[in-house]
Amino acid sequence: MSSSLLDGCSRRQVLQLLAGSAACACCGLVHANKLAYNLAATEIASGTWAVHGATEYFTLENGGNIVNVAFVEVPDGVVVIDTGPSRRYGEALLQLIEKTIPGKPVLRVYNTHHHPDHFLGNQVFDESVVAAPQQVIDNILAEGDGFADNMYRLVGDWMRGTASIAPTVALENNKEEIGGRAFSLFYLSGHTSSDLVVRDDETGVVFSGDLAFYNRAPTTPHADIDVWQESLQSIAALDRELILPGHGLQDSSGESLSQTADYLDWLQASLRDAAGVGLTMNEAMVLPIPTRFSGLDVVDTEYKRSVVHMYLALEDELMPLIESD
Amino acid sequence: MRKLQMFKTIRKLAGLTALLLLSGNVFAMETELPADPLNSVMWENMASRFFPGEVVIDQRVIVHGPLDAENQMQVPITVDATQLDDVVQIVALADLNPIPHILTLHPTRAQPFIGFRVKLEQASPIRVGVQTADGVWHVNGVIVNAAGGGCTAPALAHGLSDWYKTLGQGRGITRRESADLARLSVRLRHPMDTGLAPGIPVFYMNQIEVTSPAGEKLANIEMYEPISENPTLTLKPLITDKIDELLVYARDTEANEFRYTLPVPAAIDN
Repeated sequence: MSSSLLDGCSRRQVLQLLAGSAACACCGLVHANKLAYNLAATEIASGTWAVHGATEYFTLENGGNIVNVAFVEVPDGVVVIDTGPSRRYGEALLQLIEKTIPGKPVLRVYNTHHHPDHFLGNQVFDESVVAAPQQVIDNILAEGDGFADNMYRLVGDWMRGTASIAPTVALENNKEEIGGRAFSLFYLSGHTSSDLVVRDDETGVVFSGDLAFYNRAPTTPHADIDVWQESLQSIAALDRELILPGHGLQDSSGESLSQTADYLDWLQASLRDAAGVGLTMNEAMVLPIPTRFSGLDVVDTEYKRSVVHMYLALEDELMPLIESD
Repeated sequence: MRKLQMFKTIRKLAGLTALLLLSGNVFAMETELPADPLNSVMWENMASRFFPGEVVIDQRVIVHGPLDAENQMQVPITVDATQLDDVVQIVALADLNPIPHILTLHPTRAQPFIGFRVKLEQASPIRVGVQTADGVWHVNGVIVNAAGGGCTAPALAHGLSDWYKTLGQGRGITRRESADLARLSVRLRHPMDTGLAPGIPVFYMNQIEVTSPAGEKLANIEMYEPISENPTLTLKPLITDKIDELLVYARDTEANEFRYTLPVPAAIDN
């Protein structure tokens, strides 16, 4: 324990702590406030609420709440899109739903993809209603535990009690009716190997998952940029009223799609140029980012992460085989 | 009387010895290890093992590394010591790795510059010592945060049943950055097994040598277990307008030898 952690404690408390007597006389002072997400629901369309996360990276302060989650009131219940980064978030989300739409059961929970901020709240919901494409389920089964471990490292105690729980319902159909409301399901990919897009056919709200980011730099740990661009075109062609991106505010104009496409296009071209002339990853990381992307939150951090995600494959493609004997 | 003189002589000798010991201490104080800017518990150990002699902390040794290891199996590091003259060798270490020594570069006829990737077992200082011809070690470094497990996980190659068929396969790019300076980037397929993953014995490329077609040594790298799978290295050999190719020789711990030829374009491409 560093001395700074002990700064707020009396000498006697410190001695007690060191002696191992009393459970933890000092901890109450160190974490005086119980960790709470203080989630708020914003009605973005009729009977449709967004729970906006910070447009940041995971930190000890934000507890992983960097993601947009949504819930929709349908005639007989509630439909939830994504469940947040932790059990604690899931519990707060359930309370928020109950407060906003009292007395209605959650009939369906969609996981748009397998990234930790989108599904680690699953365990507070009845497992029989949690649904995703089979590939998302497979990805969660393969990587979910590792993501959960890493989230404990990144945000700490916010994660207490969180476990990776995969959806039990494998989606196959292009439409499903939930509690008297029709939802269209689009099986896309590119941000990851499986990205589900959900459209509420009544309101025309498209829940894009992380295929669209808005004024927040896109993340690429499992990205296939060419496929992602095709998916963005598919979403652009949808009959819709509003897009709720995975990160950033709701978007009625479609700018989130063009902005994401523009950034990914630049990212890919810039890193191709860098790898093509044999720059090291570290040299590529300090290349200038065009000013038109300066409004994207955490762009510096995400760009550097993307170099690591994308460079190996680009080098394999762009470095020619050399003669050997 | 004689006894007394003898006693005095002994006392003088003792005094002289004490003085000598004292001056020895003074000398030791002059070369005392500077405080570690990275505040690592391993600093004294690393310095005594790898940087024998005088050590100075020197910002002219530029070490580029990410704050966070996005992929702890492939953490990119670039060392640029081109602000120093007469560099004899560059030693790169990961203090908190189970095997800290990453590589030693002898830039015989090359700029003191190298790009490489390293496996990290946990968050660690990446420390680089650059020894100049006067024997002084110029040390600097960065701290890279990491999730861990990089050294004890099996190489990706072991997921392929026929990984040995492409052992030593090389990829590379060579550019002429100026009339007398080349940039050489190579990737050589090798699992770089540390011996720390269960059931997989140690097996890694341990020597790389870059020469001119005439056989002149340009750079030599001793590599160790922490270098990432499929070593990807960037060097800046000094060349002449007559040099139109560079030769790379590599050898691993099982004495497999690999030889590569990379053309150097005549045109300057900066």
